[in-house]
Amino acid sequence: MSEPVIRVESLSYSYPSGQRALDQVSFNVAAGECVGLVGPNGAGKTTLFLCLAGVLRVQPGVARVATLDPAEAQQRRQLPAQLGIIFQNSDDQLFNATVFDDVAFGPLNLGLSAEEVRQRVAEPLERVGLTGFEDRVPFHLSGGEKRRVALAGVLAMRPDILLLDEPSMHLDPRGRREFIRLINGLEVTKMIASHDLELILETCSRAIVIDHGRIIADGPCRTLFADAELMDAHGLEVPYSLRSGGVGQ
Amino acid sequence: MTLKGYHFSGTGAWVDKLDPRWKLAALVPAALAIAFLRHWPAAGAAFIGSMLLAALARLPLRWYLARVGAALIVVAPLAILLPFLHTDGGQRWEIGPLRLSMHGLLAGLRLVLKCLAIVNLMAVLFATAPLHANLKAAQALRVPGLLVQLLMLTYRYIFVLAAELSRLRIALRVRGYRTRPNLHSYRTMGHAVGTLLVRGSERAERVGQAMRCRGFDGRFRSLAEFRTTAADVAFATVIWGLATALLIADWLGFSTFA
Repeated sequence: MSEPVIRVESLSYSYPSGQRALDQVSFNVAAGECVGLVGPNGAGKTTLFLCLAGVLRVQPGVARVATLDPAEAQQRRQLPAQLGIIFQNSDDQLFNATVFDDVAFGPLNLGLSAEEVRQRVAEPLERVGLTGFEDRVPFHLSGGEKRRVALAGVLAMRPDILLLDEPSMHLDPRGRREFIRLINGLEVTKMIASHDLELILETCSRAIVIDHGRIIADGPCRTLFADAELMDAHGLEVPYSLRSGGVGQ
Repeated sequence: MTLKGYHFSGTGAWVDKLDPRWKLAALVPAALAIAFLRHWPAAGAAFIGSMLLAALARLPLRWYLARVGAALIVVAPLAILLPFLHTDGGQRWEIGPLRLSMHGLLAGLRLVLKCLAIVNLMAVLFATAPLHANLKAAQALRVPGLLVQLLMLTYRYIFVLAAELSRLRIALRVRGYRTRPNLHSYRTMGHAVGTLLVRGSERAERVGQAMRCRGFDGRFRSLAEFRTTAADVAFATVIWGLATALLIADWLGFSTFA
Protein backbone atom coordinates (compact mmCIF):
# COMPACT_ATOMS: atom_id res chain seq x y z
CA MET A 1 0.00 0.00 0.00
CA SER A 2 1.52 3.32 -1.03
CA GLU A 3 2.33 6.07 1.43
CA PRO A 4 -0.70 8.32 2.05
CA VAL A 5 -0.28 11.83 0.66
CA ILE A 6 -1.96 13.30 3.72
CA ARG A 7 -1.20 11.73 7.05
CA VAL A 8 -2.51 13.20 10.26
CA GLU A 9 -1.82 11.62 13.62
CA SER A 10 -3.18 12.96 16.89
CA LEU A 11 -3.32 16.52 15.68
CA SER A 12 -4.60 18.99 18.24
CA TYR A 13 -4.87 22.73 17.93
CA SER A 14 -6.01 25.47 20.28
CA TYR A 15 -6.45 29.10 19.31
CA PRO A 16 -4.56 31.75 21.31
CA SER A 17 -7.82 32.49 23.12
CA GLY A 18 -7.64 28.98 24.55
CA GLN A 19 -10.48 27.58 22.47
CA ARG A 20 -9.67 24.00 21.53
CA ALA A 21 -10.46 23.72 17.83
CA LEU A 22 -9.01 20.27 17.05
CA ASP A 23 -8.62 17.36 19.45
CA GLN A 24 -6.50 14.33 18.59
CA VAL A 25 -7.50 14.21 14.96
CA SER A 26 -6.09 11.28 12.98
CA PHE A 27 -6.74 10.19 9.40
CA ASN A 28 -4.97 9.37 6.15
CA VAL A 29 -5.75 10.26 2.57
CA ALA A 30 -4.36 8.21 -0.30
CA ALA A 31 -3.15 9.65 -3.57
CA GLY A 32 -6.00 10.44 -5.93
CA GLU A 33 -8.70 10.12 -3.27
CA CYS A 34 -11.46 12.66 -2.89
CA VAL A 35 -12.54 12.89 0.74
CA GLY A 36 -15.39 14.97 2.08
CA LEU A 37 -15.02 16.71 5.44
CA VAL A 38 -18.42 17.40 6.95
CA GLY A 39 -19.61 18.78 10.24
CA PRO A 40 -21.60 21.62 11.77
CA ASN A 41 -20.40 25.23 12.02
CA GLY A 42 -17.45 25.51 14.34
CA ALA A 43 -16.56 21.83 14.03
CA GLY A 44 -12.97 22.57 13.04
CA LYS A 45 -13.04 21.97 9.29
CA THR A 46 -11.42 25.25 8.26
CA THR A 47 -8.97 25.03 11.17
CA LEU A 48 -7.89 21.58 9.99
CA PHE A 49 -7.28 22.87 6.47
CA LEU A 50 -5.28 25.81 7.77
CA CYS A 51 -3.18 23.42 9.88
CA LEU A 52 -2.49 21.20 6.86
CA ALA A 53 -1.52 24.26 4.79
CA GLY A 54 0.93 25.37 7.46
CA VAL A 55 -0.93 28.61 8.13
CA LEU A 56 -1.66 27.56 11.72
CA ARG A 57 1.33 26.10 13.54
CA VAL A 58 1.00 22.58 14.88
CA GLN A 59 3.39 20.27 16.66
CA PRO A 60 6.15 18.77 14.48
CA GLY A 61 5.42 15.27 13.29
CA VAL A 62 1.64 15.24 13.69
CA ALA A 63 0.92 15.97 10.04
CA ARG A 64 2.58 15.15 6.76
CA VAL A 65 1.36 16.57 3.48
CA ALA A 66 3.04 15.19 0.35
CA THR A 67 5.98 14.11 2.59
CA LEU A 68 6.31 17.65 3.95
CA ASP A 69 5.81 18.57 7.58
CA PRO A 70 3.83 21.84 7.81
CA ALA A 71 5.39 22.45 11.23
CA GLU A 72 8.93 22.68 9.81
CA ALA A 73 9.74 26.12 8.40
CA GLN A 74 11.87 24.93 5.48
CA GLN A 75 9.34 22.29 4.42
CA ARG A 76 6.42 24.66 4.94
CA ARG A 77 7.92 26.98 2.31
CA GLN A 78 7.70 24.13 -0.19
CA LEU A 79 4.06 23.38 0.60
CA PRO A 80 2.40 25.90 -1.78
CA ALA A 81 3.79 24.00 -4.77
CA GLN A 82 2.22 20.77 -3.48
CA LEU A 83 -0.98 21.87 -1.79
CA GLY A 84 -3.57 24.37 -2.91
CA ILE A 85 -6.43 25.67 -0.80
CA ILE A 86 -9.63 27.37 -1.93
CA PHE A 87 -11.06 29.54 0.83
CA GLN A 88 -14.73 29.97 1.73
CA ASN A 89 -14.87 33.57 0.59
CA SER A 90 -13.35 34.15 -2.83
CA ASP A 91 -12.82 37.84 -2.08
CA ASP A 92 -10.21 36.81 0.49
CA GLN A 93 -8.31 34.99 -2.19
CA LEU A 94 -8.53 37.44 -5.08
CA PHE A 95 -6.33 40.26 -3.93
CA ASN A 96 -4.86 41.57 -7.14
CA ALA A 97 -6.14 44.28 -9.44
CA THR A 98 -6.81 42.00 -12.41
CA VAL A 99 -7.61 38.35 -13.01
CA PHE A 100 -4.30 37.87 -14.82
CA ASP A 101 -2.30 39.31 -11.94
CA ASP A 102 -4.15 37.16 -9.46
CA VAL A 103 -3.64 33.89 -11.29
CA ALA A 104 0.00 34.83 -11.94
CA PHE A 105 0.62 35.57 -8.25
CA GLY A 106 1.42 31.98 -7.28
CA PRO A 107 3.67 31.12 -10.27
CA LEU A 108 5.58 34.38 -9.76
CA ASN A 109 6.22 33.41 -6.15
CA LEU A 110 7.62 30.09 -7.42
CA GLY A 111 10.26 32.07 -9.29
CA LEU A 112 9.18 30.95 -12.75
CA SER A 113 10.17 32.80 -15.91
CA ALA A 114 7.82 35.32 -17.53
CA GLU A 115 7.01 32.91 -20.34
CA GLU A 116 6.24 30.08 -17.95
CA VAL A 117 4.09 32.35 -15.81
CA ARG A 118 2.06 33.37 -18.84
CA GLN A 119 1.53 29.73 -19.73
CA ARG A 120 0.58 28.91 -16.13
CA VAL A 121 -2.02 31.66 -16.30
CA ALA A 122 -3.46 30.73 -19.68
CA GLU A 123 -3.88 27.01 -18.96
CA PRO A 124 -5.95 27.13 -15.77
CA LEU A 125 -8.04 30.02 -17.08
CA GLU A 126 -8.90 27.91 -20.09
CA ARG A 127 -9.61 24.97 -17.84
CA VAL A 128 -12.10 26.91 -15.75
CA GLY A 129 -13.65 28.50 -18.83
CA LEU A 130 -12.44 32.05 -18.21
CA THR A 131 -10.16 32.69 -21.16
CA GLY A 132 -10.58 36.34 -22.07
CA PHE A 133 -11.08 37.43 -18.46
CA GLU A 134 -7.43 38.37 -17.94
CA ASP A 135 -8.00 42.11 -17.73
CA ARG A 136 -11.18 41.95 -15.68
CA VAL A 137 -11.32 43.45 -12.20
CA PRO A 138 -12.09 40.73 -9.62
CA PHE A 139 -14.62 42.88 -7.78
CA HIS A 140 -16.81 43.05 -10.86
CA LEU A 141 -17.06 39.28 -11.32
CA SER A 142 -20.04 37.19 -10.32
CA GLY A 143 -19.75 34.78 -7.38
CA GLY A 144 -19.25 31.83 -9.70
CA GLU A 145 -16.63 33.61 -11.75
CA LYS A 146 -14.75 34.64 -8.63
CA ARG A 147 -14.75 31.06 -7.40
CA ARG A 148 -13.41 29.88 -10.74
CA VAL A 149 -10.68 32.53 -10.75
CA ALA A 150 -9.73 31.45 -7.24
CA LEU A 151 -9.50 27.86 -8.49
CA ALA A 152 -7.44 28.94 -11.49
CA GLY A 153 -5.07 30.81 -9.18
CA VAL A 154 -4.50 27.65 -7.18
CA LEU A 155 -4.27 25.35 -10.22
CA ALA A 156 -1.60 27.63 -11.66
CA MET A 157 0.66 26.30 -8.90
CA ARG A 158 0.01 22.74 -10.21
CA PRO A 159 -0.52 21.25 -6.76
CA ASP A 160 -0.97 17.51 -6.24
CA ILE A 161 -3.38 18.12 -3.39
CA LEU A 162 -6.37 20.45 -3.28
CA LEU A 163 -8.29 21.53 -0.19
CA LEU A 164 -11.64 23.15 -0.92
CA ASP A 165 -13.44 24.94 1.90
CA GLU A 166 -17.19 25.27 1.26
CA PRO A 167 -16.77 25.43 -2.52
CA SER A 168 -20.49 25.86 -3.20
CA MET A 169 -20.96 28.79 -0.82
CA HIS A 170 -22.39 31.90 -2.52
CA LEU A 171 -22.90 30.00 -5.78
CA ASP A 172 -26.20 29.87 -7.59
CA PRO A 173 -27.37 26.46 -8.87
CA ARG A 174 -25.72 26.96 -12.25
CA GLY A 175 -22.44 28.07 -10.67
CA ARG A 176 -22.60 25.15 -8.28
CA ARG A 177 -23.14 22.64 -11.11
CA GLU A 178 -20.25 24.15 -13.07
CA PHE A 179 -17.98 23.99 -10.08
CA ILE A 180 -18.86 20.38 -9.36
CA ARG A 181 -18.03 19.56 -12.96
CA LEU A 182 -14.68 21.31 -12.59
CA ILE A 183 -13.86 19.55 -9.33
CA ASN A 184 -14.70 16.15 -10.77
CA GLY A 185 -12.40 16.83 -13.71
CA LEU A 186 -9.37 17.46 -11.51
CA GLU A 187 -7.10 14.42 -11.21
CA VAL A 188 -5.50 15.38 -7.92
CA THR A 189 -6.02 14.37 -4.33
CA LYS A 190 -8.87 16.40 -2.90
CA MET A 191 -10.44 17.16 0.45
CA ILE A 192 -13.68 19.06 0.38
CA ALA A 193 -15.13 20.67 3.49
CA SER A 194 -18.80 21.41 3.04
CA HIS A 195 -22.28 21.53 4.52
CA ASP A 196 -23.56 20.72 1.06
CA LEU A 197 -23.83 16.96 1.51
CA GLU A 198 -25.28 16.53 -1.98
CA LEU A 199 -22.09 18.08 -3.35
CA ILE A 200 -20.02 15.69 -1.26
CA LEU A 201 -22.05 12.77 -2.60
CA GLU A 202 -21.43 13.94 -6.16
CA THR A 203 -17.69 14.42 -5.73
CA CYS A 204 -16.40 12.15 -2.98
CA SER A 205 -16.47 8.46 -2.25
CA ARG A 206 -15.39 8.82 1.38
CA ALA A 207 -16.33 11.26 4.09
CA ILE A 208 -15.04 12.23 7.51
CA VAL A 209 -17.53 13.59 10.02
CA ILE A 210 -15.99 16.06 12.45
CA ASP A 211 -17.64 17.77 15.40
CA HIS A 212 -16.21 19.80 18.28
CA GLY A 213 -12.75 19.24 16.84
CA ARG A 214 -12.97 15.44 16.98
CA ILE A 215 -13.39 12.90 14.23
CA ILE A 216 -16.70 11.18 14.77
CA ALA A 217 -16.86 8.89 11.78
CA ASP A 218 -14.84 8.03 8.69
CA GLY A 219 -16.23 5.90 5.90
CA PRO A 220 -18.12 5.71 2.61
CA CYS A 221 -20.26 8.82 2.02
CA ARG A 222 -23.51 7.06 1.29
CA THR A 223 -23.23 4.87 4.39
CA LEU A 224 -22.44 7.74 6.73
CA PHE A 225 -24.93 10.20 5.30
CA ALA A 226 -27.76 7.67 5.34
CA ASP A 227 -27.32 7.26 9.10
CA ALA A 228 -30.01 9.66 10.31
CA GLU A 229 -29.00 9.31 13.95
CA LEU A 230 -25.39 10.15 13.20
CA MET A 231 -26.36 13.09 11.03
CA ASP A 232 -28.83 14.46 13.57
CA ALA A 233 -26.40 14.09 16.48
CA HIS A 234 -23.83 16.25 14.69
CA GLY A 235 -25.90 19.06 13.28
CA LEU A 236 -26.36 17.55 9.82
CA GLU A 237 -29.21 16.05 7.84
CA VAL A 238 -29.60 13.02 5.63
CA PRO A 239 -29.30 14.40 2.08
CA TYR A 240 -32.55 14.45 0.17
CA SER A 241 -31.20 12.04 -2.45
CA LEU A 242 -30.65 9.39 0.25
CA ARG A 243 -34.00 9.69 1.97
CA SER A 244 -36.54 7.05 1.18
CA GLY A 245 -38.43 8.30 -1.87
CA GLY A 246 -35.59 10.69 -2.71
CA VAL A 247 -33.97 11.01 -6.14
CA GLY A 248 -31.07 8.76 -5.25
CA GLN A 249 -33.25 5.91 -4.12
CA MET B 1 -22.68 55.33 -0.38
CA THR B 2 -21.21 52.98 -2.89
CA LEU B 3 -18.10 53.36 -4.92
CA LYS B 4 -18.41 52.92 -8.61
CA GLY B 5 -15.87 50.44 -9.92
CA TYR B 6 -12.84 51.84 -11.69
CA HIS B 7 -13.78 51.33 -15.31
CA PHE B 8 -10.72 52.10 -17.36
CA SER B 9 -11.48 52.44 -21.01
CA GLY B 10 -8.76 54.91 -22.00
CA THR B 11 -9.30 58.20 -23.76
CA GLY B 12 -8.43 57.02 -27.25
CA ALA B 13 -5.68 59.63 -27.55
CA TRP B 14 -2.02 58.96 -28.38
CA VAL B 15 -1.20 59.52 -24.70
CA ASP B 16 -2.97 56.21 -23.93
CA LYS B 17 -0.35 54.35 -25.90
CA LEU B 18 2.64 55.79 -24.06
CA ASP B 19 4.60 53.56 -21.71
CA PRO B 20 3.20 54.15 -18.17
CA ARG B 21 6.73 54.22 -16.77
CA TRP B 22 7.70 57.19 -18.92
CA LYS B 23 4.44 58.99 -18.18
CA LEU B 24 4.95 58.50 -14.45
CA ALA B 25 8.60 59.52 -14.63
CA ALA B 26 7.67 62.65 -16.56
CA LEU B 27 4.44 63.84 -14.98
CA VAL B 28 5.18 63.28 -11.28
CA PRO B 29 8.41 65.32 -11.29
CA ALA B 30 6.61 67.94 -13.39
CA ALA B 31 3.88 68.12 -10.74
CA LEU B 32 6.56 68.49 -8.07
CA ALA B 33 8.21 71.25 -10.07
CA ILE B 34 4.87 73.08 -10.29
CA ALA B 35 4.46 72.76 -6.53
CA PHE B 36 7.73 74.68 -6.09
CA LEU B 37 6.79 77.63 -8.32
CA ARG B 38 6.76 80.87 -6.39
CA HIS B 39 5.30 83.39 -8.81
CA TRP B 40 1.88 83.58 -10.41
CA PRO B 41 3.07 84.09 -14.03
CA ALA B 42 4.99 80.79 -13.88
CA ALA B 43 1.99 79.15 -12.24
CA GLY B 44 -0.17 80.55 -15.03
CA ALA B 45 2.16 79.15 -17.67
CA ALA B 46 2.10 75.78 -15.94
CA PHE B 47 -1.69 75.86 -15.86
CA ILE B 48 -1.93 76.68 -19.57
CA GLY B 49 0.58 73.97 -20.45
CA SER B 50 -1.27 71.41 -18.35
CA MET B 51 -4.61 72.35 -19.95
CA LEU B 52 -3.02 71.83 -23.35
CA LEU B 53 -1.81 68.39 -22.30
CA ALA B 54 -5.25 67.53 -20.90
CA ALA B 55 -6.81 68.60 -24.22
CA LEU B 56 -4.32 66.50 -26.19
CA ALA B 57 -5.06 63.54 -23.92
CA ARG B 58 -8.80 64.02 -24.66
CA LEU B 59 -9.83 63.68 -21.05
CA PRO B 60 -13.55 62.88 -20.69
CA LEU B 61 -15.14 66.22 -19.78
CA ARG B 62 -17.50 65.12 -16.98
CA TRP B 63 -14.84 62.94 -15.40
CA TYR B 64 -12.33 65.79 -15.59
CA LEU B 65 -14.72 68.44 -14.23
CA ALA B 66 -15.61 66.19 -11.27
CA ARG B 67 -11.97 66.00 -10.27
CA VAL B 68 -11.29 69.66 -10.82
CA GLY B 69 -14.39 70.47 -8.80
CA ALA B 70 -13.18 68.33 -5.91
CA ALA B 71 -9.79 70.05 -5.95
CA LEU B 72 -11.39 73.48 -6.06
CA ILE B 73 -13.56 72.67 -3.05
CA VAL B 74 -10.37 72.12 -1.06
CA VAL B 75 -8.42 75.06 -2.42
CA ALA B 76 -11.15 77.70 -2.85
CA PRO B 77 -11.59 78.60 0.85
CA LEU B 78 -7.86 79.31 1.15
CA ALA B 79 -7.74 81.25 -2.10
CA ILE B 80 -10.72 83.37 -1.03
CA LEU B 81 -9.35 84.10 2.45
CA LEU B 82 -5.75 84.88 1.48
CA PRO B 83 -6.41 88.40 0.10
CA PHE B 84 -8.00 89.32 3.43
CA LEU B 85 -5.39 87.72 5.62
CA HIS B 86 -2.17 88.69 3.83
CA THR B 87 -0.41 91.35 5.90
CA ASP B 88 2.80 91.90 3.89
CA GLY B 89 3.37 95.32 2.31
CA GLY B 90 2.07 96.21 -1.11
CA GLN B 91 -1.03 97.68 -2.56
CA ARG B 92 -4.19 97.39 -0.48
CA TRP B 93 -7.85 98.28 -0.89
CA GLU B 94 -10.45 98.87 1.73
CA ILE B 95 -13.99 97.64 1.22
CA GLY B 96 -15.93 98.77 4.23
CA PRO B 97 -14.41 96.97 7.23
CA LEU B 98 -12.47 94.58 4.97
CA ARG B 99 -8.93 95.12 3.72
CA LEU B 100 -7.92 93.44 0.48
CA SER B 101 -4.22 92.87 -0.25
CA MET B 102 -2.75 92.67 -3.78
CA HIS B 103 -0.12 90.27 -2.54
CA GLY B 104 -2.85 88.12 -1.02
CA LEU B 105 -4.81 88.16 -4.27
CA LEU B 106 -1.78 87.04 -6.23
CA ALA B 107 -0.96 84.38 -3.63
CA GLY B 108 -4.50 83.03 -3.93
CA LEU B 109 -4.31 83.09 -7.71
CA ARG B 110 -0.95 81.30 -7.63
CA LEU B 111 -2.40 78.64 -5.31
CA VAL B 112 -5.39 77.94 -7.56
CA LEU B 113 -3.31 77.87 -10.75
CA LYS B 114 -0.72 75.50 -9.30
CA CYS B 115 -3.39 73.24 -7.84
CA LEU B 116 -5.29 73.00 -11.11
CA ALA B 117 -2.09 72.44 -13.08
CA ILE B 118 -1.12 69.53 -10.79
CA VAL B 119 -4.65 68.11 -10.98
CA ASN B 120 -4.48 68.28 -14.77
CA LEU B 121 -1.21 66.34 -14.87
CA MET B 122 -2.48 63.68 -12.46
CA ALA B 123 -5.74 63.42 -14.40
CA VAL B 124 -3.77 62.75 -17.59
CA LEU B 125 -1.74 60.10 -15.77
CA PHE B 126 -4.74 58.24 -14.35
CA ALA B 127 -7.10 58.64 -17.28
CA THR B 128 -4.67 57.25 -19.82
CA ALA B 129 -3.63 54.03 -18.05
CA PRO B 130 -5.36 51.63 -15.65
CA LEU B 131 -4.38 52.09 -12.02
CA HIS B 132 -2.73 48.69 -11.83
CA ALA B 133 -0.55 49.58 -14.84
CA ASN B 134 0.53 52.78 -13.10
CA LEU B 135 1.34 50.84 -9.94
CA LYS B 136 3.39 48.29 -11.89
CA ALA B 137 5.15 51.19 -13.60
CA ALA B 138 5.94 52.63 -10.17
CA GLN B 139 7.40 49.30 -9.08
CA ALA B 140 9.46 49.16 -12.29
CA LEU B 141 10.78 52.61 -11.36
CA ARG B 142 12.00 51.18 -8.05
CA VAL B 143 9.23 52.57 -5.85
CA PRO B 144 9.32 50.22 -2.81
CA GLY B 145 7.29 47.07 -3.50
CA LEU B 146 5.61 47.28 -0.10
CA LEU B 147 4.17 50.69 -0.90
CA VAL B 148 2.99 49.57 -4.32
CA GLN B 149 1.38 46.44 -2.92
CA LEU B 150 -0.34 48.43 -0.17
CA LEU B 151 -1.80 50.79 -2.75
CA MET B 152 -2.84 47.84 -4.91
CA LEU B 153 -4.56 46.11 -1.98
CA THR B 154 -6.24 49.37 -0.96
CA TYR B 155 -7.59 49.79 -4.48
CA ARG B 156 -8.69 46.15 -4.58
CA TYR B 157 -10.48 46.12 -1.24
CA ILE B 158 -11.92 49.59 -1.03
CA PHE B 159 -14.83 48.40 -3.17
CA VAL B 160 -15.35 45.43 -0.86
CA LEU B 161 -15.37 47.68 2.20
CA ALA B 162 -17.76 50.08 0.50
CA ALA B 163 -20.09 47.18 -0.23
CA GLU B 164 -19.89 46.10 3.43
CA LEU B 165 -20.69 49.62 4.54
CA SER B 166 -23.64 49.67 2.18
CA ARG B 167 -24.95 46.40 3.65
CA LEU B 168 -24.50 47.77 7.16
CA ARG B 169 -26.51 50.86 6.29
CA ILE B 170 -29.29 48.78 4.80
CA ALA B 171 -29.30 46.57 7.89
CA LEU B 172 -29.68 49.68 10.04
CA ARG B 173 -32.42 51.19 7.94
CA VAL B 174 -34.57 48.05 7.76
CA ARG B 175 -34.62 48.11 11.56
CA GLY B 176 -35.93 51.65 11.57
CA TYR B 177 -32.70 53.51 12.22
CA ARG B 178 -32.45 57.06 10.94
CA THR B 179 -29.53 59.35 11.51
CA ARG B 180 -30.42 62.07 13.99
CA PRO B 181 -28.29 64.50 15.97
CA ASN B 182 -28.53 62.52 19.17
CA LEU B 183 -26.50 60.18 21.36
CA HIS B 184 -28.18 57.05 19.97
CA SER B 185 -27.13 57.98 16.42
CA TYR B 186 -23.57 58.80 17.41
CA ARG B 187 -23.31 55.55 19.32
CA THR B 188 -24.78 53.57 16.40
CA MET B 189 -22.42 55.16 13.90
CA GLY B 190 -19.54 54.47 16.22
CA HIS B 191 -20.53 50.81 16.44
CA ALA B 192 -20.90 50.65 12.65
CA VAL B 193 -17.44 52.09 12.10
CA GLY B 194 -16.02 49.76 14.71
CA THR B 195 -17.69 46.79 13.03
CA LEU B 196 -16.19 47.79 9.70
CA LEU B 197 -12.75 48.07 11.24
CA VAL B 198 -13.04 44.66 12.90
CA ARG B 199 -14.29 43.04 9.70
CA GLY B 200 -11.53 44.75 7.77
CA SER B 201 -8.96 43.45 10.20
CA GLU B 202 -10.35 39.90 9.99
CA ARG B 203 -10.39 40.07 6.22
CA ALA B 204 -6.79 41.32 6.22
CA GLU B 205 -5.85 38.27 8.30
CA ARG B 206 -7.55 35.93 5.84
CA VAL B 207 -5.99 37.65 2.83
CA GLY B 208 -2.60 37.29 4.47
CA GLN B 209 -3.26 33.57 4.96
CA ALA B 210 -4.31 33.22 1.32
CA MET B 211 -1.15 34.98 0.19
CA ARG B 212 1.06 32.69 2.27
CA CYS B 213 -0.77 29.64 0.92
CA ARG B 214 0.29 30.70 -2.57
CA GLY B 215 3.94 30.99 -1.67
CA PHE B 216 4.15 34.68 -0.76
CA ASP B 217 7.46 35.26 1.03
CA GLY B 218 7.39 39.00 1.59
CA ARG B 219 8.76 39.96 -1.82
CA PHE B 220 6.36 41.63 -4.22
CA ARG B 221 6.61 40.43 -7.78
CA SER B 222 4.69 41.42 -10.85
CA LEU B 223 4.72 40.60 -14.51
CA ALA B 224 4.60 43.77 -16.49
CA GLU B 225 5.30 44.14 -20.16
CA PHE B 226 6.65 47.57 -20.83
CA ARG B 227 8.33 48.56 -24.04
CA THR B 228 10.02 51.90 -24.54
CA THR B 229 9.47 53.65 -27.85
CA ALA B 230 10.81 56.87 -29.29
CA ALA B 231 7.47 58.52 -28.55
CA ASP B 232 7.85 57.72 -24.83
CA VAL B 233 11.32 59.26 -24.69
CA ALA B 234 10.20 62.30 -26.67
CA PHE B 235 7.19 62.85 -24.42
CA ALA B 236 9.23 62.62 -21.24
CA THR B 237 11.97 64.84 -22.64
CA VAL B 238 9.50 67.55 -23.61
CA ILE B 239 7.79 67.44 -20.19
CA TRP B 240 11.09 67.51 -18.30
CA GLY B 241 12.36 70.32 -20.52
CA LEU B 242 9.26 72.43 -20.01
CA ALA B 243 9.25 71.82 -16.25
CA THR B 244 12.92 72.77 -15.99
CA ALA B 245 12.44 75.87 -18.13
CA LEU B 246 9.51 76.90 -15.97
CA LEU B 247 11.51 76.50 -12.77
CA ILE B 248 14.41 78.53 -14.17
CA ALA B 249 12.10 81.24 -15.49
CA ASP B 250 10.32 81.34 -12.14
CA TRP B 251 13.58 81.69 -10.29
CA LEU B 252 15.16 84.21 -12.65
CA GLY B 253 12.60 86.17 -14.50
CA PHE B 254 9.14 86.23 -12.99
CA SER B 255 10.05 87.72 -9.66
CA THR B 256 9.43 91.22 -11.09
CA PHE B 257 5.74 90.41 -11.31
CA ALA B 258 5.49 89.14 -7.77
